[in-house]
Amino acid sequence: MSSGQNSGGLMSSAGLVRYFDAEDRNAIRIDPRTVVAIGALFGVFVLVLSAAL
Amino acid sequence: MGWKEAAEPVLTRMPTVQRPEGHVPFKRKLMWTGGVLVLYFFLTSVPLWGLPAGGGQDLFGQFRAILAGGQFTVLHLGIGPIVTASIVLQLLGGANLLGLDTDDPRDQVLYQGLQKLLVVFMVILTGLPMVLSGFLPADQALAQQLGIGIAGVQGLLFAQIFAGGLLILFMDEVISKWGVGSGIGLFIVAGVSESLVTGIIGPRNGLIFNWAGMVLGDTALSVDNVLGSQGQVIALITTLAIFVIVVYAESVRIEIPLSHARVKGARGRFPVKLIYASVLPMILVRALQANLQFLGRIIVSQAGSPTADGRVVIELLGVQMPWLGLYSQTAQGPNSPVGGLFYYMAPIRQPTDWMWWLASGPSQEIWQVVTRVTVDLTFMIIGGAIFAIFWVETADMGPRSTAKQIQNSGMQIPGFRQNVGVIEKVMERYIPHVTVIGGALVGLLAVMANMLGTIGGVSGTGLLLAVSITYKLYEEIAEEQLMEMHPMMRQMFGD
Repeated sequence: MSSGQNSGGLMSSAGLVRYFDAEDRNAIRIDPRTVVAIGALFGVFVLVLSAAL
Repeated sequence: MGWKEAAEPVLTRMPTVQRPEGHVPFKRKLMWTGGVLVLYFFLTSVPLWGLPAGGGQDLFGQFRAILAGGQFTVLHLGIGPIVTASIVLQLLGGANLLGLDTDDPRDQVLYQGLQKLLVVFMVILTGLPMVLSGFLPADQALAQQLGIGIAGVQGLLFAQIFAGGLLILFMDEVISKWGVGSGIGLFIVAGVSESLVTGIIGPRNGLIFNWAGMVLGDTALSVDNVLGSQGQVIALITTLAIFVIVVYAESVRIEIPLSHARVKGARGRFPVKLIYASVLPMILVRALQANLQFLGRIIVSQAGSPTADGRVVIELLGVQMPWLGLYSQTAQGPNSPVGGLFYYMAPIRQPTDWMWWLASGPSQEIWQVVTRVTVDLTFMIIGGAIFAIFWVETADMGPRSTAKQIQNSGMQIPGFRQNVGVIEKVMERYIPHVTVIGGALVGLLAVMANMLGTIGGVSGTGLLLAVSITYKLYEEIAEEQLMEMHPMMRQMFGD
């Protein structure tokens, strides 16, 4: 019904992995675009290696 | 000093995906979700580099449908490690051994860090045995070509599935924070739908092709063929029945009336759904069974000795242990258990696993088959109930947490004093019972569906998960659109 905790929502629907709003200042933050880009590059890299060798 | 202080420096520094600042428009959310899904499908089609042409053995086997990923691809591990890590966390959290208060921001950070660390640990714990025990064999030609030896290629294989395991985790985080629903849910739905579609229109044992074969007279029109392995009429009916039952069960609920303490006339209802804990705890029970089966297969692959009748028996310290595990032999190695403890603990997967009166039925004695069915049913029903309870506790859906949430939103139950304790008492009348009944019911449904068979072999749990995740997704999208149309709603829901 709502996102995050303490937001007055009634039901929290959680997936298998839970993410909260709270974050530590020390945490390394990754841009979501970086995740997608690394994923795609990794896939292409493995494909190229398989084709080359 | 508790474990929290000791682990804090590590747990707080775990890399996380940035949170969006402010509201993400619905269209943008759909784009992120779609983008990650495309990436997921792309990665499930990238074969592992360093695997010989013959491929290896899929340790996930029959659990592939619910553990997602793609066999022998860089996403070989699928969501397996995430699910296993979740089991550990649920058990620890459910038994209250963690001592983490998820209302406290400090503990939330620790919880998230611990969660991630556990997944990384499980990626190693699941991936390493797969490579080392030869389920993912190293290509000898490549080893010679590169001059790094078998161990080097094994290292490369492990590096790839390790990277794939981590990518799935972060892809899930991207969808959870920037997209719609949860990534894991989407990956499960994607996998199950893919199997369903291939089960219907696929050229190999697909429903339509089989029916065409029967109409054209290539396959005999016997009762066995039409209902069973060829026509799959029973499987089709089961699949449709699960769809209907889940959608119906999602709507079965006890509604607790609420009224606003200050705003007269503002009324609401708190629904306690029959499948209160959702179907997700089921995946944990199945994963527990899956892990037991992995253990068996790893043991027999390392310490198996062939028997006179062409099977493989577990042999430890020179003693043959047919009571522990007796496996059928295939060209790639020992395959599925046919006797012993690991046989009884293997879940029923399809009708031919237990319909002893069929020609294609099991080769075991009737009592053995009945024992296996009983074990599976007990495991799933009791396990379903237990994990549902843990789920409710850790997901803050228990009586205390919901009472707090209702109180915080300024609502009260009409006719009762406005007090957290009172609301909690009322919730306690419903939530625990509904959770147990719902969990057990879902367990029963999953086993029944497997016993009758499903289209494309997606398994009962896979189907239950896919339908209920899709239903939740639909609800979430409807809610998103509502907020999109009425920006005021966002403030009300505190987005």
